[in-house]
Amino acid sequence: MVICAVHVPESAEAAVDRLAGGGWVMGGGTVVMPLVNSGAAPVTELVSLRRAGLDGVEVRDGVATIGAAATFTTVGERPELAFLRPALRTIASPTICNQATVGGNLFVAQPYGDLAVCLLALDATCEIAGPDGRRDAPVAGVLASGVAAGEVVVAVRVVLPQPGTWYYHKAMRRRLNSAAIVTVASVTRADGGVVASTRIALGGVASRPVRAGSAERLLRGRPLTHEVLTEAGEAARGDIDPFDDAYASAWYRARVLPVHLRRAFLP
Amino acid sequence: MPSQIVSLVVNGEQREFIAAPGATLLASLRESLGLTAAKRGCAQGACGTCTVLVDGRPEVSCLVAVETVAGRSIRTLEGVAAGGELDEVQSAFVDCFATQCGFCTAGMIMVAEALLDRNPDPSDEDVVEAISGNVCRCTGYRPIVIAILEAARRRREQAPQEVASR
Repeated sequence: MVICAVHVPESAEAAVDRLAGGGWVMGGGTVVMPLVNSGAAPVTELVSLRRAGLDGVEVRDGVATIGAAATFTTVGERPELAFLRPALRTIASPTICNQATVGGNLFVAQPYGDLAVCLLALDATCEIAGPDGRRDAPVAGVLASGVAAGEVVVAVRVVLPQPGTWYYHKAMRRRLNSAAIVTVASVTRADGGVVASTRIALGGVASRPVRAGSAERLLRGRPLTHEVLTEAGEAARGDIDPFDDAYASAWYRARVLPVHLRRAFLP
Repeated sequence: MPSQIVSLVVNGEQREFIAAPGATLLASLRESLGLTAAKRGCAQGACGTCTVLVDGRPEVSCLVAVETVAGRSIRTLEGVAAGGELDEVQSAFVDCFATQCGFCTAGMIMVAEALLDRNPDPSDEDVVEAISGNVCRCTGYRPIVIAILEAARRRREQAPQEVASR
């Protein structure tokens, strides 16, 4: 369809008002604009968040509140969020990182959207604005079923992981900015040599980022050894529903999952 | 919504033009302002040949709806050669044979300008990462990486004090 209007509201509330008339929310445009350029976008109006005052990052008491329109570059430049830099580098070139936004990444189809995989591992909370006001929702829910029509994710809240508890590994065709074959992100805390708590999120292995609940259950109370991690990776095959694409077959993704889950912890 | 007047600061100059709804920054530069250095390659954000600087940072202009950057400062390749004289990056591209068909060159140079503005002494790997969103089907990339490192060296030699104070 041909775009008839691009709205650039100056607040989250104004964006919600605009959305009442239909159209798509657009963060940095890296996902929406390719569809617009090819005529494949099934909308005639866009609501850009570029000027809605949602591009900041605030860190207080160990909690980061990241505006939905904060770019990957903005996120990577915050010292408190430096643990995400290796992940951001695998997602996109520095140029695209200047445009792609945290909120937009929640709505990117797999095998893209690795920041969403990280946010799932971090058990992030989404702040959502809608016609009835604001509400919070776990990022898992937003990844699973999106937001209601007329709603906008305005921020993502993350409890910063303790030093030494963040793990990230991505298997891809190139060393930089390529789609995921398997992405593994985890917050795992060991105590006395065994896993005290763990959250593991996987990308590239289902239609959306998923938690590897089977692997998490297997790891609790056990040491992060080669054998235990391989066992957990094999168990994680029960948590995935992989697909074929140009990057890898579903068979291949399932086959290599245990290797990459292990490498996230033991490179 | 009808077309609207959009104002940008392009290469230091205030420019106003009429933009149709959803016009990209790339189309505006090329068709409304006659600045044709930035090229339309894939129109999907994957090739980088339309890269320009928005407030000093590289962006692929094919993915920017121009209304969303109204009032911002845009730098294109046309604004690089001060007084018609090639700058260090441009002359290094010539000297190091970093351009063949030339289609990627405008985007490559703008990414290099942004890199050297932030990092006057980049490593080989820094350069590779900086141009990782720009596709070149002629050179095999190596001459481009060498040219950007050479441009950095020339710029450091030219203004050692200025670089040291950054």
